[in-house]
Amino acid sequence: MFIEPSQKFSTLVSPRITVMQGAVEVTDEDGVMLTTVLGSCIAACLYDPVAKVGGMNHFLLAEPEHREGQPATFDEHFGLYLMELLVNRMMQAGAIKSRMRAHIYGGANIHKAMRAIGSVNAAFAERFLNAEAIMLSHRDVGGDCARRVDFLAAQGKARCRHVVQSAAPPPTPVRSSRPESVGDVEFF
Amino acid sequence: MMETTRILTVDDSHSMRALLRMTLSGNGYEVVEAEDGLAALDWLESNEVDLIITDINMPRMDGFGLIERLRGEQRRHVDRPILVLTTESSEDKKARARRAGATGWIVKPFDPEKLIAAVRRVAH
Repeated sequence: MFIEPSQKFSTLVSPRITVMQGAVEVTDEDGVMLTTVLGSCIAACLYDPVAKVGGMNHFLLAEPEHREGQPATFDEHFGLYLMELLVNRMMQAGAIKSRMRAHIYGGANIHKAMRAIGSVNAAFAERFLNAEAIMLSHRDVGGDCARRVDFLAAQGKARCRHVVQSAAPPPTPVRSSRPESVGDVEFF
Repeated sequence: MMETTRILTVDDSHSMRALLRMTLSGNGYEVVEAEDGLAALDWLESNEVDLIITDINMPRMDGFGLIERLRGEQRRHVDRPILVLTTESSEDKKARARRAGATGWIVKPFDPEKLIAAVRRVAH
């Protein structure tokens, strides 16, 4: 579900939340816009049209590098964790996985001299959605341009604009503000 | 030499199993995976485990069914600790898990440090 360019997208909304690298935001509030700027990073936007819940994440790398003989470790900057976090936060807010629709944005290969991190990230996001049986309804990935994504989460309306390369964020992970209550444990 | 603690993770989400595997194996635990309660029961028929971490909502056999079977008919694993790992947060479901014989309840998405602390507390 997309707003046509002729519509006044930005004037329809009030609060705007910037989704930084390593972060996940989920909302069911009408008019709340989740926004981010992407280079090689990926932002996945999920939406449940019945629960009217939407969310966005923003990750820098797909999965931890696995070295032979060493156990893999991860943190919240990796897509594997942030995709799972997004799906679970959506479900906690009342969404049902089988109803979710996804858009993915980003995955540009900004620096030609570097390996194609953007392509790896985009392929990972699609693999994840496929494995979790979440319908990918739109993708705008690849190329060599940065993107700005605005997502009216509770309405499932997204807009993606390609922007000049200098506007892309530096590839430095920002630690997510994980709430203290995440993963609470209760013993019986 | 100490034996490695073996943990069975039961979840229909491939990515959640991958996250659990990375977290647990990164902390020295041996990890075995099952995609639902029925697959877990099948595996437990002929294998030993030190701890079970299970989701609730799964196809074929959910987490409640698994716990009830392990605490009921399949008595061989009656003393094994079982941690529930779920997005569910209702008190009713938590009470049902407690009655069925679960050892603890962890809310998804899990925090790696809290998970490992819980595992250390219950795994023998």
